[in-house]
Amino acid sequence: MSLLRAVLPGPGRLRGAGIPWSILRSYSSASAKEKAKRNATCERTELLEVLKARVKQLQATNVPEVTVNKVELAPVGNEKYQDPLQKVVARREEGESPARPSSWVQKLKEEMHIQKLKMGQTSPIAASELALEAEVEDKAKDKVKGKAKDKKSLKTPKTKVVAAWSQSHAGSHGVHGKPTVAAVKAGVKVPRRRVLDDKESSQFKILQQTVQSNLECFLFLQQPEEAERFLLMYHRSPAKRKLLNVSAYNVVMRSWARKGRLQRINRLFSMLERAGLRPNLDSYAAALECMGRNPFSTKAIWRFMQQLKHDGFHVDELFQKCLFEEDEKEKVLKAIRMIHPNYELPPAPSSQTCNSSLLQDFYSKEKMLPYPKLDFSAQELRECFQKQLELEMNNTITIESVESSKPLTPQALKARKLLATLRSQWHDSVLQALQKSKHNMSKLKTASKYNVLYPYLCLLPEDEYVGIMLEMLNTLSPQGESLAVLAKELGSKVYNRYITQRKLHSGQLEKLREVYEDYIQLLAKDSQPAKYLPREYWEKLVAEAGFGPSLTLKSCSWSYMLLMRLGMHMLELLVQAVKMPRNILNPRLEPRLIPALYHIYSFRSSWQVGLIKPHPVFSQIMSDAAETMLTFNSSAIPMLCPPVPWTSPNFGAFVLNDTTLMRFVDGAVQHQLLLEQCPLVNLHPVLDALNQLGNCAWKINQPVLDIIISIFNDKGNEKLDIPPPISEAPMPPAAPSNPSSLNKAQKHELLLYKKKAAEMHSLRMDALYKLSIANYVRDKVFWFPHNMDFRGRTYPCPPYFNHLGNDVTRAILLFAEGRPLGPKGLDWLKIHLINLTGLKKNNSLQERLEYANEIMEEILDSADHPLTGRKWWMNTDEPWQALACCMEVAKASRSPDPAAYISHFPVHQDGSCNGLQHYAALGRDLIGAISVNLMPCSVPQDVYSAVARQVEELRKKDAEHGVKIAQVLQGFISRKVVKQTVMTVVYGVTRYGGRLQMEKRLKEIDDFPEEYLWEASHYLVKQVFNGIKEMFSATRDIQNWLTESAKLIAQSGRTVEWVTPLGLPIVQPYYRSKSTVLNCSMQNLSVKSTSSNQKPDTVKQKNAFPPNFIHSLDSTHMMLTALHCLRQGLTFVSVHDCYWTHALTVDVMNEVCRQQFVALHSEKILQDLSEFMLEKYCSPDRETRAPWQKKLMEQLSNVPKTGELDLKNVMDSTYFFS
Amino acid sequence: MLAGRAPPGAAGCCRRLLAATLAAGLRPLLRGPPPCWATARRAAGQWPSPGLRVPEAAEAERLVQQVQQTSVAVRRFIACPRLARTVQRCLQSGASPGSPPVLLECEPGPGVLTRTLLNAGVRVVALESNPAFLPNLQSLENSLDGQLKVIYGDFCRLDPLVTGTLKPPAICSEKLFETMGVAAVPWRADSPVKIFGILPQSKERLRLWRHLFALYECSSIYRYGRAELNVFISEKEYKEPWSSFLTNSKNGGLAIPKSVRLPNDHLCLVRLTPQQNLFTGGLNPTNSAIFIFMVKQCLAKPKSRLIDRLNSWSLDNSSQLLRELEIPENAQTRNVYPEDYKRLFEALQNTNIFTETWWHDEIFETVRNINL
Repeated sequence: MSLLRAVLPGPGRLRGAGIPWSILRSYSSASAKEKAKRNATCERTELLEVLKARVKQLQATNVPEVTVNKVELAPVGNEKYQDPLQKVVARREEGESPARPSSWVQKLKEEMHIQKLKMGQTSPIAASELALEAEVEDKAKDKVKGKAKDKKSLKTPKTKVVAAWSQSHAGSHGVHGKPTVAAVKAGVKVPRRRVLDDKESSQFKILQQTVQSNLECFLFLQQPEEAERFLLMYHRSPAKRKLLNVSAYNVVMRSWARKGRLQRINRLFSMLERAGLRPNLDSYAAALECMGRNPFSTKAIWRFMQQLKHDGFHVDELFQKCLFEEDEKEKVLKAIRMIHPNYELPPAPSSQTCNSSLLQDFYSKEKMLPYPKLDFSAQELRECFQKQLELEMNNTITIESVESSKPLTPQALKARKLLATLRSQWHDSVLQALQKSKHNMSKLKTASKYNVLYPYLCLLPEDEYVGIMLEMLNTLSPQGESLAVLAKELGSKVYNRYITQRKLHSGQLEKLREVYEDYIQLLAKDSQPAKYLPREYWEKLVAEAGFGPSLTLKSCSWSYMLLMRLGMHMLELLVQAVKMPRNILNPRLEPRLIPALYHIYSFRSSWQVGLIKPHPVFSQIMSDAAETMLTFNSSAIPMLCPPVPWTSPNFGAFVLNDTTLMRFVDGAVQHQLLLEQCPLVNLHPVLDALNQLGNCAWKINQPVLDIIISIFNDKGNEKLDIPPPISEAPMPPAAPSNPSSLNKAQKHELLLYKKKAAEMHSLRMDALYKLSIANYVRDKVFWFPHNMDFRGRTYPCPPYFNHLGNDVTRAILLFAEGRPLGPKGLDWLKIHLINLTGLKKNNSLQERLEYANEIMEEILDSADHPLTGRKWWMNTDEPWQALACCMEVAKASRSPDPAAYISHFPVHQDGSCNGLQHYAALGRDLIGAISVNLMPCSVPQDVYSAVARQVEELRKKDAEHGVKIAQVLQGFISRKVVKQTVMTVVYGVTRYGGRLQMEKRLKEIDDFPEEYLWEASHYLVKQVFNGIKEMFSATRDIQNWLTESAKLIAQSGRTVEWVTPLGLPIVQPYYRSKSTVLNCSMQNLSVKSTSSNQKPDTVKQKNAFPPNFIHSLDSTHMMLTALHCLRQGLTFVSVHDCYWTHALTVDVMNEVCRQQFVALHSEKILQDLSEFMLEKYCSPDRETRAPWQKKLMEQLSNVPKTGELDLKNVMDSTYFFS
Repeated sequence: MLAGRAPPGAAGCCRRLLAATLAAGLRPLLRGPPPCWATARRAAGQWPSPGLRVPEAAEAERLVQQVQQTSVAVRRFIACPRLARTVQRCLQSGASPGSPPVLLECEPGPGVLTRTLLNAGVRVVALESNPAFLPNLQSLENSLDGQLKVIYGDFCRLDPLVTGTLKPPAICSEKLFETMGVAAVPWRADSPVKIFGILPQSKERLRLWRHLFALYECSSIYRYGRAELNVFISEKEYKEPWSSFLTNSKNGGLAIPKSVRLPNDHLCLVRLTPQQNLFTGGLNPTNSAIFIFMVKQCLAKPKSRLIDRLNSWSLDNSSQLLRELEIPENAQTRNVYPEDYKRLFEALQNTNIFTETWWHDEIFETVRNINL
């Protein structure tokens, strides 16, 4: 019976397209009278139709695990084979009150919709749901009968099912909303929906994930008994059993397999069957591993192999799909060879090549060049790898800050001594508190009281937990930090260390090291050149070594809630345990221990935020001690060896540190799911581009760094963007003896001072981190591994110090690789210098070069006497980069042969208003294209001035017609006033936001009459929008089309998704957030949870789509340029729309950049987008089509018309990127 | 408003907090049959009824509709003459003998209530923020012999915290009171002014909070004495939410499905008069911000125990303190009487936790954050 049920797909497996929420809301409102009027037969036929339609959809969506045909065949009358839904229908027909048919249709649609949103769920859950239902139903019947006597409406059989469901949920977990009497009364529909919601609720998923990760903890701790006890706790309770899926059982099997206990595994197999679940490949792998470890009779092996085949699997699949750890693979192989002595491992799947038309040249083997070599020998790279490995094994690194060169005061010495004693006390007391809490938890063994955190507090040695907690004390700012942030930080630190430990234990690190040592051959200068990309080479090596997919860990992520809960627990321990004597700074006070941290609420308008703040006494000691050691996570330091190439969404970048390919906001899982579902070959271009960016080697510009540090350690300089130390802050107004005696103005002043001090502190710390890390790697060559955000924009992983930083950080970075300047290199350096000054923006390149030659004396003076000379460099837009460039120009021009001078200096080329460039190209807007330099011109065009001119013309006209505000604005319209608004138009700024920007600009103009601010800004923003509309007519249409499409899609209850021309799938992660309250003793935390079944946030989906789409295009352009630059042998990095390369290769890069822009926009981008969305959101074979669908279809097919621009012109446009 | 125990319950804690702090300083509006106002009317300072025609509801509605198009913020007006009469009776009830204070009517709009009040012989100052309503009101003002005074200004933007010159309709209380001709009286004296208004529902709670701060600091309108505030506020700010009550449901939920939940869409007329004895204990206008801060900290998690809160403030003798105040040691913060909070504050002033520790920094921030 249970097997049969398992075969039948339950309601949990169906997928389909969504319907608008408005319909969902209205379906339950049909009155009983209305329902009674309809007849039952009609209902039945309609149901069948819907089921058929559903099956068709299912076949279309092509989900491998779903066996769909059964649904169609299941006869309505045969109760035995019905899914619960049909059962209800059948009973309904027997009963007296037939439902309104259309409501059934809608309900089915709704289910499909929910299923559709579910995405990642696997079928076993559905099966378990079914089996469970059967049990619960039987048991619950009697219970319900008792209750039903009082209430007539409960007597009909159909409500029994409902009540049973409700009961099962009531018993399951307190977190679910309880079904109420009223809900049962309301009839079948409401509770039925509730059940589905419950199954899908984020609570349910979080619980399921928590059970899974709990079991994994026991596996890691090698405690199969504990794991099994935990599993049984859930397995035995019918209500809790539905939280278990087959992988939960698998984890326990694996922990027994490691001990070679076959009986236990047999028992688990029978438990699986009882639970109505089917064993999967991993289950068989565990069983075979067990038998390989502990040779049993071949009969047992035969039996399992038979069953494996019976379940539709093939032996080869074990080695292709399962992720093995340690020696699991060998053991499985051994077991198989006991019965098939000649069994050979299946060959590695042949690698596929991406067939994107944009990259045909790039991937064609004939044209492929050997991969460029680094200036390192294999031995040197091996040493680099060793260093990086050691760094990551330690998890954290403590480095000297750049402030350490300052002399120590006696006061500091005293404070440091004090801190050292306090810390050793704290270490002991925190350790004690941790042990005590663990002890208390370990005593709670019953299911109801079981503390889920316990295993997580056992994963690491106790000292490591204490270390993590005490580390937090050192970095806490005097202003305090929100509880949620701290809890997340603590939780993730534990998680990261656990992952490191797992990688060590599972042997994954050893395998990786083996592959990496060979991988070095691709890059080392003393090895054979190879015509491979890093990713291809890595894949080849992995295949040769026969590791298969086992380099990746089995998925083991902890839910966001769990991280928070763990973090909160640690935080509570910390606040309780860390105390210090009150009289530490003031001996006159009576001695008493007070907490060093306190918890307080801060009130922000209508909501409250819990903060953890250090006691002022503690802050005082910390600032007195002026400690100069900084501790960082190892992932905050640039890599000391070339990054591990990205080969899949889960593998790449750091050696041990867990990095995701796509950055996401807390708790959002959609991106990762989407990437995992996407065929890997489609991701190849993106992975290769990221590898290319990450493989650029860097070094430090030491002279510039030294100058910066000297200013930093002196008094800072706000004008040069070197934040001054806190001691330089303006003094507060006379310290009041009694704070309450201040008057309002004084209080205000004091507040301003405090705000300023807090700002200065955070700026100072940020700069301190950056400079200290730069100082730490000053003699090394280093790499920035890259990942990307959900639109494909790329970012270096180390957070503080990287080339995306401000002027100061960019100025201290140089390419590690040097290239001669070549014939035009020096000129490019000079032009780059003038670009950095912000002068001569509207002049041609030639004029800029001439200007540079004119002021050569100033340049040389700046380079030679940066701090004592005439300081020309200080008055430029980007002073530090300008200074660095001055020095480079000086060195190059003084070298005997400038063309042969080896330069490491990156030269930048900026896209002018890159967003508008993409828009203009998409819409083929001629006038717009000229103003953003898509057309060749002798001097660079400036779109802001063009818009300002346009607005001024409109204003003049209005002024002549006697419009008052137009007259007032005479002489106030300038490039500066309109610039910000024009810039942000691309990013979807609204009238409202635009007006605020305008108001700000007008306020900055001193003699602008204040009383006209509102009216004038209102008028101006209107005219700017009009001006842009005239210049970029198609652009506005495209923007509106994108916005409107996104709106309709979001209203239909789905998120906006698209695929970039390079094949990267994108989903907009904006949902109406639901928050779950995390009850902790210190404070209740409201945690925003995201799960795939959430409703999209229509406003955000709509407003963000145009800018996100444009960003996905600019990232595509950047990646294309990166890949083709690689083919040309260039060094290339990017800061979004600013591309960097050597002076020698600027011309080549510009060429490639323009070519790729033309190639990209020669694709039918909007057409493709429209087709993709039509396919995704309105599949044509849908039988029933609601009006909203027609509307959406119309909208999506109605691609905006484009203008007359001939894109080829871009090829000759000098100022496209300049 | 709440006279006694701070309400229990889990949700709506911010609201409860407001109620508790309000209750400590304000006397609730007593509801009951109005006292014999007909006799009071003849007392000194009453004006004879001018016998004005009060516009009918439909007429008022037309007036409002015409004007409303030019205004951005949503406002509410009394249109029904019967409601106006009821409000007028409420406003005049409970008046102490002696000359009745002047009545400041905020946002009179079409002037239905204004006329009703004038007919009842009340001296009215009308504070109107919408210039479109002003001409009508001003012509009314001119037709009377000083019984009505019309001022252009916005009560919601009274004493804004921004620095610099005030742009009308923002108005400062000094100017307002000077125009009204009301002088400051000692705190223990009777109300120098009655104020009537309808609180806008946007940022309603914040507006109430601001009044609370002004009251405890004796600033703004409270610099002139115990101003009596008669305001319509939304029911949810005034009445007990269901969540305040204990239920026998296991998860502490509402036990009432959302679909049948009663809508909270009424406005309630509430009279708020500061208590005479507010500043008799250790509380005074200069340290009152600390008091508010203390109560807020306590009620941020209403189910927590008071003693835990006290302990987290580095007090070492908190249990002794509670014993002395006769507050049960296991009391949850939501169950502590408003008066007890006041006594707790006074007792804590004797220890030095407010001056010695981190308190005053935090209080500054809270004061800043309450600004609208």
